[in-house]
Amino acid sequence: MIKKTMLALATGVSLAFAFPAFAQDVRIGLMAGLTGPYASEGQDTKRIIELMIEDLNAKGGINGNKVQLVIEDDGSSPGTAATAATRLASTKVPAVIGTYGSAVTEASQDIFDEAGIVQIGTGSTSIRLTEKGYERFFRTAPRDDEQGRVAEESLNKLGFKTVAILHDSTAYAKGLADELKAQIDKNGRVNTVFFDALVPGESDYSVVLTKLKSANPDAIFFTGYYPEVGLLLRQKKEIGLDAPIIGGDASNHVDLIKIAGKDAAKGYRFISPPLPTDLDTPVTKEFLASYKAKYGTYPGSIWSVASGDAFIALVEAIKAKGADSEAIADYLHNDLKDVQGLSGKISFNEKGDRVGDLYRLYEVDGDGNFVLQPE
Amino acid sequence: MDIFITQLSNGLAIGSIYALVALGYTMVYGILRLINFAHGDLFTIGAYFGLTILVSFALQGNVSPLIIPWILIIMAAIGVAIIGFLLERVAYRPLRNANRLAAVVSAFGASIFFANALKLIYSPNRQSYPADIINLPNIPIFGVDIQSKRLIMFGTAVLLMALLYWYINHTRTGTAIRAVAIDQGAAKLMGINVNKIISLVFIIGPALGGAAGVLMGLFYGQIHPEMGFSFGLKAFVAAIIGGIGNIPGAMLGGLLLGVVEAIAGGYVSGSWKDAIAFGALIVILIFRPTGILGERVADKI
Amino acid sequence: MEALKQTRHIGFWTGIVFFALMAVLAIALESSSGGNTWLRTLNNIGIFTALALSLNIILGQTGLFNMGHIAFFALGAYVTAVLNSVLGWPIIYTLPFAACITALFAFVVALPVIHLRGDYLLVVTIGISEILRIAFVNDIFGLTQGPNGITGIQRIELFGYRFMSQFAQFYLIWGFVAITACLFYFLEHSRFGRALNYIKYDEVAASGNGVNIVRYKLIAFALGAFWAGMVGTIYAPFIRTISPGLFEFKESVLLFAIVILAGGGNIVGIVLASFLLVGMRDVLTMFGDWSMLLFGLMMVVIMIIRPQGIMKPRRRQYNAGHLVGKFPSGIGKKAGLSAGNQAEVVE
Repeated sequence: MIKKTMLALATGVSLAFAFPAFAQDVRIGLMAGLTGPYASEGQDTKRIIELMIEDLNAKGGINGNKVQLVIEDDGSSPGTAATAATRLASTKVPAVIGTYGSAVTEASQDIFDEAGIVQIGTGSTSIRLTEKGYERFFRTAPRDDEQGRVAEESLNKLGFKTVAILHDSTAYAKGLADELKAQIDKNGRVNTVFFDALVPGESDYSVVLTKLKSANPDAIFFTGYYPEVGLLLRQKKEIGLDAPIIGGDASNHVDLIKIAGKDAAKGYRFISPPLPTDLDTPVTKEFLASYKAKYGTYPGSIWSVASGDAFIALVEAIKAKGADSEAIADYLHNDLKDVQGLSGKISFNEKGDRVGDLYRLYEVDGDGNFVLQPE
Repeated sequence: MDIFITQLSNGLAIGSIYALVALGYTMVYGILRLINFAHGDLFTIGAYFGLTILVSFALQGNVSPLIIPWILIIMAAIGVAIIGFLLERVAYRPLRNANRLAAVVSAFGASIFFANALKLIYSPNRQSYPADIINLPNIPIFGVDIQSKRLIMFGTAVLLMALLYWYINHTRTGTAIRAVAIDQGAAKLMGINVNKIISLVFIIGPALGGAAGVLMGLFYGQIHPEMGFSFGLKAFVAAIIGGIGNIPGAMLGGLLLGVVEAIAGGYVSGSWKDAIAFGALIVILIFRPTGILGERVADKI
Repeated sequence: MEALKQTRHIGFWTGIVFFALMAVLAIALESSSGGNTWLRTLNNIGIFTALALSLNIILGQTGLFNMGHIAFFALGAYVTAVLNSVLGWPIIYTLPFAACITALFAFVVALPVIHLRGDYLLVVTIGISEILRIAFVNDIFGLTQGPNGITGIQRIELFGYRFMSQFAQFYLIWGFVAITACLFYFLEHSRFGRALNYIKYDEVAASGNGVNIVRYKLIAFALGAFWAGMVGTIYAPFIRTISPGLFEFKESVLLFAIVILAGGGNIVGIVLASFLLVGMRDVLTMFGDWSMLLFGLMMVVIMIIRPQGIMKPRRRQYNAGHLVGKFPSGIGKKAGLSAGNQAEVVE
């Protein structure tokens, strides 16, 4: 009797929670920070993927099968990301795109790995993400050791002898700061005269700027995210600190200009993979045209565009091998070679890292445009 | 030495903001024994109101830059005062006779509600006040160039605190507020309308918080929906350091916290500065269990 | 005594039925296709329930305003993570260490501040938890790996069985919750529990009756922290990557809210309140941008509807009937009037 009741109860509940299944459609997961501090990145990512799926489905999908998107919000925070990843894992998608922020991505890695799902990180450059030996983790973002190398190269090329390194204690920024410091110490061409952190999300950075002023460096390298960069630029001007700020790739976002004001932002330089508008391949041009047509602007940053690269790679893999996680991972590791993506050619090495040197130096001009500097 | 004075001015400036927010905490606490955790978000709302007024009335360029801050501060203060009044009516008054921790939980709920309402209305992205509203020259003090905006912030905070102090101690209504703070029942017997007084406190406190929000936006530039949480927490700490319920104490606590943070950030490490500020709080409370200016209350037996 | 026994039985059997139903629910969810998400939600609730029960000893039973409880949880999780991920210990061996180190930490930090009253203690506990979190961010002693946190924490292994799936962990977590609830239930009704309650309702009278206030308060703190440290040990392999971002002040607030909403000290109430608040927070995410707005609104509304908490704090009850007529005046008369009713301690 009890057994029967239990069984009945179990069936009842399982029916209540059952999801309808779509046999024909190919489902792809997207984990993005739709809310939280990096929400503008996440929202843009969602727009790009939705647009690309729309276009793809209009052309008949993958081998005649329509593509469906399953979206979860990671809230730009590791805790929420773990929950979002479990939700996605339980929908049994073969592959997931995302996400922005190394710490956020890291919190989801184990969960996807355990579920055997392919994950392609988009805005996560922290080195150790691909050093853990996960066979189904890839990323379309470059790595921080590469960025650190290019940063040191650029500092030297620009003729700075002493540099102050400032980070914001986030996983990514601390990692990049350490990497840059290591490169500087190794090559001995530039001197580090300052190494400290600020607290992200605050409104007043005059204390740290005053401290920087007293350290008197030739240049300040800030490895954090764009909102803080904007504020630093603005308050640096007010405080009368003349040393220029140079930033990492997380400052590649148009909101920077809005926060700092065009005056204060002029002359700001940063290291970043090239912006889509600076690439003149047909694929990129076509994408930008259709994005502009649908949303009225160009994408705000390179990282949402990197999610488009992830999508292109996934579509190639599914087209060739079908929607099976193992086959996709195998294809991405071994067979995907120099496919034309939105931010350049895509191929992955055995660790799942993107191959190729991607970093360029940018400078902000007087009108708030990001101008690619000649090599 | 120059650097030290500059850091001191940095600390006093941000401390002025903490102090203004702390005044709201301390008034509400003094009268209801309620930690109004939503107060930090009222501060944020003030900052957003200021920006909205600035942008939607196209004040910049049409009105003298010397008048703009006052228009913004007064209008935002009125707006936030209305919200503060409603907050008390909706979220706290029904809990007046319940366990006082119930009201604290309700305050947290209200805090989450406000922050997310702002996100929905203004987007979760950070917003910025235009960079060129007020351009004032630096003023040399002890041979160091001090930004005049620092002095304005400090001056405004001291002025508002002094006004409030005078109002509480030297007017009839102020006397009523003090009476309600000491004993609600007795105050009622003396013919004081306790509900009215409490509403009044929930108008004054949020108005000050709203004004602080505008100052923040004007002088530091960037605002975001979640900033009230950390500002609120720090202002609360400031109120406790000074002795909660005590108006000059809130001012003192705010300025002290600002300076401790600036010195810690400037001379020790930016990443440890909040930890040092909290450490200072704990040390102060170990030696002065009711804050610097707080009265030692004897146990009522 | 009769009445006391009866109510005890009711609480006990409600518990048994509840945990049995939960076990069935888990089987049902496991066999349904979207069930894994729900299992995870339930597991989250379980973690918070156990945590709230440990906070309950400090806040609900003793009346100490601890709003930094997440720090003890964090410390437990970090001890486990370091021992497991860096030194390679099996998770289960780290359990006593996580618990004891956390308890010791709680004892040491509480010692100088335990005499602080109400809200002053509240802000100090917030301070302690923030300091600890910042220390984790700054990679203290080179152990916590900074803002990235510690990755690659293994799953719990017991008798050769590895708790991997949400389903397996469900039994682990809720089994722990059941043990916790049971132990704390007996604790509440012990001499020790009564002393804590005494302190909560009247510190002066308690001290007058020979209860060593400082000692009991410290023990309550250490005991709550001890348990929170163990929950940390269970949480670390559950989430597998421990970083300071998981232990923000907001989580302490949520725990605090659970205990207050429960109705101060009531175990059944705590389970219900955890379901309500943690469950809601998970479920409401389906409303996207609106979710947290609704969550905040809900907190306010629930408090207004149930200002005394979900379960009204149940006072210790004594049947005064047998006292009738035993005293010549005063007490006897009073008892006579309320004969059959129970005397109530007023808060």
